Amino acid sequence: MTQFGKHLEKGLRDLGREACWRAIKDAGIRSDQIQAGFCGNALGGYLQRENGIGQSVLWQVGIKGIPIINIENACASGSSAFREAWIGVASGLYDVVIAFGVEKTVMKKGAMLDVGDADLEVKIGDVFPGLFAMRAQRHMYEYGTTLEQMAKISVKNHRNGCLNPYSQYQKEFTTDEVLNSPMIADPLTLFSCCPNSDGAAAAIVATKEVAKKLSAKPVKVLASVLGTGLYNNKKDMAIFDLDFKLSKEAYEMAGVGPEDIDLAEVHDAFTIAELMHYEGLGFCKVGEGGRLIDDDKTEIGGKIPVSPSGGLLSKGHPVGASGVAQIAEIVWHLRGEAGLRQVANARIGLAHIMGGGKEGDVGACTIHILEKVNEF
Amino acid sequence: MEERNNKIQIPVIEGAFAYSPNDGGPRLVGSRCTNCGKKCFPKREICPNCFLDEKMDEVLLNPQGKIYAFTIVRIPPPLGFEVPYAYGYVDLIEDDLRVPTMFIGGKLEQLRIGMDVILVIDKLRTDKEGNEIIGYKFKPIEG
Repeated sequence: MTQFGKHLEKGLRDLGREACWRAIKDAGIRSDQIQAGFCGNALGGYLQRENGIGQSVLWQVGIKGIPIINIENACASGSSAFREAWIGVASGLYDVVIAFGVEKTVMKKGAMLDVGDADLEVKIGDVFPGLFAMRAQRHMYEYGTTLEQMAKISVKNHRNGCLNPYSQYQKEFTTDEVLNSPMIADPLTLFSCCPNSDGAAAAIVATKEVAKKLSAKPVKVLASVLGTGLYNNKKDMAIFDLDFKLSKEAYEMAGVGPEDIDLAEVHDAFTIAELMHYEGLGFCKVGEGGRLIDDDKTEIGGKIPVSPSGGLLSKGHPVGASGVAQIAEIVWHLRGEAGLRQVANARIGLAHIMGGGKEGDVGACTIHILEKVNEF
Repeated sequence: MEERNNKIQIPVIEGAFAYSPNDGGPRLVGSRCTNCGKKCFPKREICPNCFLDEKMDEVLLNPQGKIYAFTIVRIPPPLGFEVPYAYGYVDLIEDDLRVPTMFIGGKLEQLRIGMDVILVIDKLRTDKEGNEIIGYKFKPIEG
């Protein structure tokens, strides 16, 4: 992946090329050995007025002619691209493919991300952090979760980000600094929210036979699931009902349970989101997310490290790229290449991301479970 | 669209509100599936519960409800609403339906989950061309 952050001088093609080239070199293959390409990008058509980003980026590394498809699933664009890549290989259609995500959402200071106003919610005042702010309100109302517990997640993730050279933020914050940063939508403050970012991430997906011959240590995909919001009009906003449904599918597919997960990267676009995903992914009971962070269980040295990369909060969130960046992070830990932020004895990792919204609910959500390969 | 004081008024969604034949007060207009009874707002062509399309009727929704959740926005959003403002969800009584809405009336900090609120029609914002976008909001019921 590229470092996430403010890259005013680099366009989508530059960022995409950097990430794809790193993945290609890491695998030790040639551009013309790749048989299909899957590109995740959410807002390029609107913000940069560009289409066909997949084709443009891959031509930058010399790829032409092969099937290439562009995938838009909001924040789950990159992970959906990775899933399509996995489907292409697992189905037997291709032997080796590339999946990548790229996005540029850095805007002038103070500007909120504009994602159009097709939904009634937006027409009557909905803003990106607003629905999460309401979920925080309900979680506090129903379970007594505190502002301090939510802020601790930002503190943890920014601290982890300082250990990650790819992280946009390289700065620690105290709980007070998070709580006292400017209020965006009650109760979410500036540092309770992920920043706008530019960046890209890429992965090579291959069959076992091809993977054996590549120069980097491969990692096995145990599960790949994609789901859509359930749009229950009178849903309980203190839980992500889709998390429960999808994580059950993913764990069944992988043949593991939440207790087997050694590290997780989740959709921590807002502090409350990470807290609620602890519950939805089965790392603790519903309502106990606050206690999990209070007990330091999700620190890098804890029982279930979450966001060792710094998460979206610190690492940044170039929308289409994040899903693939999470997978790259898990791969590095499983290979033992995660440097200062390495989770000890990482064997099984989980990447979860969700994006988009409709009627106050999730749009798309993906979960991937990856396993270290010791020998073939 | 209507013109008033040389400003054009545009409803936030066409046909989203009407006036009650009983008391003349404003009502949201939703859909009701005559097959399964499910109500939706905004109106839909196809029932998401029983998947039939010829059974959808228009229905006037109850103007009263209770606040389910809300937030107060402090940073100006892309559409240009004036900050600070509050928005969230109302559970309509009797209709078993939750609708998104802006909240007005009094101090925003006094809003509470569970508060009784009532529907009003009001200007939501002014768009870039100077047109007034007219929508609905809910405000706390006095007393």
